[in-house]
Amino acid sequence: MVTTTPSSNGVHHTSPAVQVIGLDFCYDANRVLQDIHLAVPSQRITALIGPSGCGKSTLLRCMNRMNDRFTGARVTRGEVRVKGKNIQDPDVDLTQLRKQVGMVFQKPNPFPKSIYENVAYGLRIHGEKNKGDLDDAVEQALRRAALWDELKDRLHTAALALSSGQQQRLCIARTIVTQPEVLLMDEPCSALDPIATLRIEELMHQLSSHCTIIIVTHNMQQAARVSDHTAFLRRGRLIEFAPTSDIFTRPQEKPTEAYLRGTFV
Amino acid sequence: MSTPIENPFAAKERGGRRRESIVRWMLRAGSFLIVFAVTAVVLHIGYCGAPAILRSEWPFVNTRYFSELPSTLHVIESTNGMRIETGAEDAGAVKQRLGHSFSSETTISYAGGGILGPLVGTALLVLVSVGVAMLLGVSCAVYLSEYAKEGRFMEAVRLAILNLAGVPSVVYGLFGLGAFVLTAPRFVTVPSEHSVLAIPLGFTTLSFEGWDTCVLSGGFTLAFVILPVIITASEQCLRAVPNGFRETSAALGATRWQTIRRCVLPFAAPGILTSSILGIARAAGETAPIMFTAALAFKDKLPWQKELTALPADASIFAHWEQSVQRFLGIFTESVQALPYHIYTLATKIPQNEYSERAQYGAVLVSLILVAVLSAFSIWLRIRLRKKYQW
Repeated sequence: MVTTTPSSNGVHHTSPAVQVIGLDFCYDANRVLQDIHLAVPSQRITALIGPSGCGKSTLLRCMNRMNDRFTGARVTRGEVRVKGKNIQDPDVDLTQLRKQVGMVFQKPNPFPKSIYENVAYGLRIHGEKNKGDLDDAVEQALRRAALWDELKDRLHTAALALSSGQQQRLCIARTIVTQPEVLLMDEPCSALDPIATLRIEELMHQLSSHCTIIIVTHNMQQAARVSDHTAFLRRGRLIEFAPTSDIFTRPQEKPTEAYLRGTFV
Repeated sequence: MSTPIENPFAAKERGGRRRESIVRWMLRAGSFLIVFAVTAVVLHIGYCGAPAILRSEWPFVNTRYFSELPSTLHVIESTNGMRIETGAEDAGAVKQRLGHSFSSETTISYAGGGILGPLVGTALLVLVSVGVAMLLGVSCAVYLSEYAKEGRFMEAVRLAILNLAGVPSVVYGLFGLGAFVLTAPRFVTVPSEHSVLAIPLGFTTLSFEGWDTCVLSGGFTLAFVILPVIITASEQCLRAVPNGFRETSAALGATRWQTIRRCVLPFAAPGILTSSILGIARAAGETAPIMFTAALAFKDKLPWQKELTALPADASIFAHWEQSVQRFLGIFTESVQALPYHIYTLATKIPQNEYSERAQYGAVLVSLILVAVLSAFSIWLRIRLRKKYQW
């Protein structure tokens, strides 16, 4: 197996949670990802940064095959392995994959249902009917999302009445209720104010003890604050992947340095 | 005091302002004309129809108008010019009471009694048509908005729907006559001689011999009339559900159908419901599609008033139950009177006089109120549900 992990200088010893091997990805004839090699360390926070249109969201969405939803979007070469299994294989069930690889989106988008129903949704679609089990799982998810104390008295009120920060944490609770091992976050804080952003970041730290988090962010300070590793992408290619402290203090590649200094052209 | 300066903002050509105001007044007149026309229609119908459905004393509504079947009106005139309106059964008694002061008697078909028959018929037709159209229309809309990929096929389907909306209603009537009245399949023991195709199935025969003129035929025909409205409106409602819900649901591992059932349909339901109520209003008002398929000019029985063989005294509860089911299902295989067709009959099939006109306007007013109430209900529902589901 060919795995080039740039500067994987012994920070992680366990096998990678997500491994991308020589991935090419196309929208119709348009190649948006090219020869990506990336080994995301388990139970760490990995940030994907890069200029707009560099393919970081597409890469993220390859990891739970959310790109399948778009016609003409497909992997043309390479593999994405989650827990060692190539998720492009025909015997991969999307329901089971997405149960274990959760995703949080940019815009907080709780369903117009009650708080409880929002969190319970993931379990209900997987066939959970037992009221007691549902209650327990919802409570646990809300606790892990640091929402339980705020919301325990109004679980059955509308989720849309919450502040946007609470809504985003509710979306995280909704995602972690099925206890995914990988959590993909697509710019989860870009629609939030600084205080709410900080709380999400705290939450990410707490969650990373249980699961691997991969976050796409525009905000370089955020990447520096929350992530253990950072991958820098540009024009569909992975330029550099290294521990965050290294990449921000002594980037090995010229484009990375230029981007971090803000002189990127 | 300074010298007056030359106006730097003077209009270049004269008359521009006047042209502006002429255009504005023309457009305004057009808008007013529409409002005036609608008001005139409503007032005229209200004025002419009120005598049929209102009473001067408590309860102010002519309850008999809503509780009786249409019947023949007898107008008996006495020598001193007094006119007595009565039904067929009392006409003889009135004549006797008048004795030799009796002068003349006029009979006006359909203009007496009430409109219970047409009301019931319309309700049944609407029920069947909306049921069928919702089932077909919502399925089609879900497919178009959630499953189908843009392309040739989608364009063909859209074109078909557009064409369906443009077909004149009498064509629907003829289609219904051909398709449902004469050739729709049904299970029979012995196929009739005009059966198009009979497929023996052993215990029964599937015979394409039509359903006859009945509620079912009319309801299905009306369903096709309102189908384009329901499909188009439902599809818009489904597309209005934010894509984020679908993505989130998919990201949580839901299959496409789970997503539709739990995250798309419930949020689109208010709009779909509203459109279906507008469909009801449309179905309730159509005349041509039911002319050949379901409606009768006159019928002296309600659809459930049917002679069934009396059960023996010791009949089992099952036999009773079976007969009840039979009676219920029988409703849908009866031909009925319908409000729009009743109006048509009153307006065209009988000699016009003040009595027929009164009955006719009464029916028109009821039909207008029915449509207005349904529309108001749909607006109220939309407002209420929109408040509930805001995103």
